[in-house]
Formats: sequence, structure tokens, C-alpha cells
Amino acid sequence: MIDFAPGDELELIRATAREFAADHLRPGLRQHEKARGISPDVQRAFAEIGFASLEWPEELGGNGLGALARAFVLEELSAGDPGAALALDPLGPALYPLLELSKSDVTGELGQPLLDTPGSRALLVWNGEGRRSKLVNDRGVVSGTVPWVPADRVDLLVVLDEDGAFAVSEGIDLKSVRGSGLRAAGASELSLIDAPIRASFSDRSAAARALARARLYKAAMLVGVMREAAEFSRQYAVDRVAFGKPIAHHQALAFLITDMATAVDSTRLLLHDACWRIEAREPADEACATTYVEAIEQSMFVTPNGVQILGGHGFMQDYPVEKFMRDARALGLFWGGIDSAREDAGNELIGIDGPVPLSVEAQL
Amino acid sequence: MNLSIDEATQKRLSGIRAIGESQIRPIGLDADRLGRPTPPDHEFFGLLLKVGLGRSRWAGENAEPSDGEASKESTPARPGSSRSMLCIAEEMSYWDRGVAVSFPGPGLGEPPLLSMGTLDQKRRFLGPFLQPERPRWGSFAMTEPGAGSDVAAIATSARKDGDHWILNGDKSFAANASRADWILVWATIDASQGREGHRAFIIERDTPGLGDFVIERKMGLKAYESTSFTLRDCRVPDENLIGGEEHYARRAGFKGAMRSFNATRPLVAVMAVGIGRAALDESLAFAREHDLLGLPRVRDRLERVRRGLRAARLLCWRAAWLADHSQPNIVEASMAKATAPTVALEAASLGMELLGEVGARGDHLIEKLFRDVKAMDIVEGTGQVQRIVMARHLVQLPRE
Repeated sequence: MIDFAPGDELELIRATAREFAADHLRPGLRQHEKARGISPDVQRAFAEIGFASLEWPEELGGNGLGALARAFVLEELSAGDPGAALALDPLGPALYPLLELSKSDVTGELGQPLLDTPGSRALLVWNGEGRRSKLVNDRGVVSGTVPWVPADRVDLLVVLDEDGAFAVSEGIDLKSVRGSGLRAAGASELSLIDAPIRASFSDRSAAARALARARLYKAAMLVGVMREAAEFSRQYAVDRVAFGKPIAHHQALAFLITDMATAVDSTRLLLHDACWRIEAREPADEACATTYVEAIEQSMFVTPNGVQILGGHGFMQDYPVEKFMRDARALGLFWGGIDSAREDAGNELIGIDGPVPLSVEAQL
Repeated sequence: MNLSIDEATQKRLSGIRAIGESQIRPIGLDADRLGRPTPPDHEFFGLLLKVGLGRSRWAGENAEPSDGEASKESTPARPGSSRSMLCIAEEMSYWDRGVAVSFPGPGLGEPPLLSMGTLDQKRRFLGPFLQPERPRWGSFAMTEPGAGSDVAAIATSARKDGDHWILNGDKSFAANASRADWILVWATIDASQGREGHRAFIIERDTPGLGDFVIERKMGLKAYESTSFTLRDCRVPDENLIGGEEHYARRAGFKGAMRSFNATRPLVAVMAVGIGRAALDESLAFAREHDLLGLPRVRDRLERVRRGLRAARLLCWRAAWLADHSQPNIVEASMAKATAPTVALEAASLGMELLGEVGARGDHLIEKLFRDVKAMDIVEGTGQVQRIVMARHLVQLPRE
């Protein structure tokens, strides 16, 4: 039966993540951005909680939790500071091709060293349809340039396309760029010159699953960012008085605020629905893609309006809302962005001959 | 967490699908073409009784607590209640929302009777719906010409006269009112008291003073009657005041009314999802037939509609799940109600665009859905009223 209760374990994980974000991420929001990184103390605290190995398989010494746990943690951390959330997660969405890469030693061999070293970073780069980069694999050595990655350090690069993925850890050159959003994670142009491939797989459905999970990862972050933008601007509108009453009591703003809350909730429900499908081992690629589309669209409704509600103050960097808007915009640009995700979700839809299911239905 | 439709519900849905395809949709199209509600003696209604529909959810007096205290818990109805009712309502509306409203049964008058009514009132007014020998209807009348979503402003008056009440006023858009055995009517004993003065009465068919029934002409949803009527010195016995005077001494009348809105918002919202889903399925089939699916702009807009419908359904489910767990759901219910109808309208409107001139002919199902669906953003509190309700909670928007 339809049940939205996440259960005690996930509630505890969510509460822990929320507390961590309040204690360590939110207070340092501007400082992280300026320093383009997170202090070693915060990194250690993060590693101790075990969030980095949340989805790392149990047989490799991880926590073996699923997509919902990751979504809960990412929403909370990103509500604190999404750039920091990226910087803190050593494997990030590069985890998903790694998990698909091999059921054996390779996954552990590639990933474990990063989990053991706070501050290290794996990066996932999309090299398929809709990419803005061009990486060429010429018989086992790779060359090319990626215009932007949210990192100033890359220990492991995982390159994904429609056919499969490969991993590279040498021959990676980074050139610092300014970055638009997510600066706390760093910002670089990444180049490969004859970089040797360490491991690879070709399997179209595994690649599609990895891409779907990577989209969900960013969607969960977007939910966190827009939640915070909506909440911050809601509170501001309640406190700020203009024309004789709190600005939130002018109906133009009251309705905007309710619509922003609705946008956040709708996206989160799609996110949890997609996560639930993954955990229930139901087909989920379309749900992940469409969730990313929704998260991008809604975040571009919510976060600019967060700035709008604060008016001139919103445009100033004394308040965090302009940063939420930049961060949200950047989070929507991964893996071919909204168009690529829309295309995948739409192609699944137009392949349906008969009634279109919205939810997972029990088979009779 | 579990966001799937379980097997038991799925079985019931496939039952509805069967009569949906063979009966509900054709009857809805007929009513639309003929421009009149399905007549009460239509054989379809008898058929519904045979398959166990058109009955009360009241569990009967044996299931009532021994002290006779009115209580919602006294009606266990069906397992999963709100959520599974939502799935059923969505599927009915998928086939035809107008026909679904025309179904026999106690209708919207049932929830107030269940939550506020005395055992005697349930026995008298819901009892005949337990094993009905013929199709029977109940009706619910809150709306007035001058009071739509602003239910506090109702002007129909109730004046005590001995062991009776005298009701005077005009009611609008009550579903199935002219064919109903009784109408649950909201009135005020003192307009200056606002919501505190509200009372609910059962007015039985053929009560002198109840009359002037006018079946309104609508843009869509023609299969059921939306009826306006008047009350002219209409004498109603004390026993028909729902809950009795004691009930109102305990609790303000307005809360009862608002609670019934609250319980039905996700239900009405999910009906919009059903209509939207019908539009999406028809649009997809039409676009395939006419080689439109290769166009990215068509595909993308269909994707957007499906995504919106899925999110809307989840919003409805969440509000119902909260209700099933007796948790406050005011914001969530309004969110669902504010969202689903606009998504469903987008679905039908996109369908019209794909149809082009075929839609303009006025004889395609999608064209009917386009007209039908607009009502969903109006009934049970408009989208604007839902936003006001949400804003009261989210930013303490004052009542003025």
C-alpha cells in the first residue's frame, strides 16, 4: 500500500545530515566559496560520520545503503551548501559507473583509496550525446578537454557515454577557472593528454543506469538548494515590512511563496518516487531523467524568485539567495543538462503503446 | 516507503477499467452529445448496484460504538481507505468524471453524516444506502449564488420554530439534487455569528418549501446534474439537524464544513489527474497515428505533461496518506488541489493542439476532456482559494 514514511533508519540519517549541515556547512557558506574548498576539520568530521561510504557496497566495507538514503543526505547537505556537499563526497556520482564497472576487485581498487583519503575527489564526466566536451579514446589512451569541472583536484576521472565508461587516474591536467556556481568544490578546465585507461566496461544498459543515478544525484542536490532558497525568502518576506504590512501578506507575494513551496514538494516527491523504484529494482531510468528535468525547471523558478523576494538585498552578496541561484543553475548543467534528460524521458514515453503508467503498478 | 499501487487496489482498478471502457465512457460521451444528465432511470445505474456500487461506506449500526457517540473511527470502511479511494476515483475520472459524479450513493453528504451525525441519523439517511433495492442518491448543498469558495458567507437562514426549523435561501450547483432522496443543506442561524452560526440539515425529498429545481447548463461534465434550488419557509424537523444542537455547542459549525473540504480536496484533485491521464493517452495515440511523435517539440511537451501528472498524483497520494494517519494535511491537500487541475488542463490543451482542426470539430474525446477539466480548478475551492489556505499556514496570511 502507498506509504510515504521513510522509516526510522532514514529519519536518523536525515537528522544527522541536517545537523551536520547546520553546524559545518551553512555557517561557512561564503568562506568555502572564497577558499574554493572545505577545511580539513570539516572533511574529517564528514568522513567520521560515514556519509562518504553511504552507498559503497557492504562487501567492500561500506554501508550498502540505497538511493533514498543518498537523496536524503544530499538534500540536507545541499540545503547547507551544495558546493561543499560536492567537495565532501570523494566519489560523488562517479560511484555509479564504478559500481556497474565490475562486480569484483576493480570497483574496490579504484574507489577505496579515495574513501581512505579525506579531500580526494573522483569526477564523473559525460562524453555522450549533448556533451560540451570532447574526449577521444584512441586505443586505450585518451585526449581532450572538458571546459569545466567542479574541482581543483582530481584523483580519479570516470568518463561515461551511452556505450559504457572508462576510468583514468593519470595524465589529468587542471587549469583553474573562475566558476559560476558551486565554487566551494573548486572550478577547473580539465585536459587529458594521452591519459592511459585503467579500467573500462561497455554495456549500454549499465551505462544508462549509471547516467540515471548520476542525474538523480544532482536532482537531490537541487531539491536541497531550492528548499533553502524557498525557506530563506519565505522567512524574509514574513519579517520584512513594506506598505504597512509584512511583504508576505501582499497577495502577489503570498501566492508566489505558496507556488515555490509547491515546486519544492513536487520535485522532492518525484525524487523519492525515482529512488524508490531503484530500491524496488523496478525500471527507473525514465523516472530519474524526468526528475532531473523537473528539478532543473523548478529550481529555475524557485531560486531566481528567492532573489526577487529580497529585492535589492537579494542581488547583494550579504545574503545567500544569489548564491543559491548560481549554484542551482550550475547543478542543472551536468551530463548534457535538461535537454538530454528530457530526450531520454520523452523517448521512453513515445515508445509506450497503450495507457501511460505514472506509477509502479503491481502485476496481476 | 512504498510508492506503488498494490495488487488488491490494482484488481479493483481493473474492474473499473472493464465497466469504464464498455459503459462509463460511452455514457459520458452520450450525455455530452445530448447535452443533458444521464436520466435517473437509465439502466446503467441499476447495473452499478448489481456490481456493489452506489452504496454507503457506513459500516452499519452493529459497528457503532455502544454509547452511540459519533466518531469517524466507527466506519472502518475499507483497508487503506483514503489512498485506495483516491486510486478508484482517479480511474473513474479517467473514463468519465461527469458519469462518476452521477453514480448513485449518498455522495458528498456522507462524510458530514459519518463524522457529525447521530446514530439515528445514520440509520435513517445512510441505512437505505446499505442494500439499496433501487438506485438512490444523496446530495450536498453548500454553494449559493453569492457564496462559492467563501463558505463563511452563506446566507441561507435557519430559524427555530417549536420542534422544527424554518429554512429560507437559494442553493446552487448541487450535484444530483433533483433526483436525491435527501439533500444535506448548510444554513446559518445567525449570519452575524459567521462560521459559528452554521448548521447542517437533512432536507428530505418532497418537503414543502423545497423546490424550483433548475438543472444548470454547463460547459462540460454534462453527465451529472448540477442543480440550483430554493428553500421557501421550508420546515425541517429537529431530528434532521445533523448531530443535534449538542454537537454545535461542542464545536463550531464551520469546522465541520471545512473538515469536509479538507477530506475531499485530494480526492477532487486526483480526479483531475484521471482526466489529464485520459487526455495524455488519447494524445499519444493520436500523435502516433498522425506521425507526430518524431517531432522533438511534441515529444517534449508530452513528457512535460506526464511528469506533471505524476507529480500531481504523488501530491494527492501524500495528502491522503497523511489523512489516513490522522496527521494534519491542510497545506498538502491544498497543494494537491492547486496543482493537479492546471496540469490536467495543460494535458487536454496540448491534446487539442495536437489534434488541430480535428479538435476544432467538437466531436473528439479530447475536446470534451478540455471542457470537462476546467471545472476541477473551481470546485472544492478554486486554485486561488487553495493558495490563500496555504499562505495562512506558510506566512500567517491574516483572515480579513
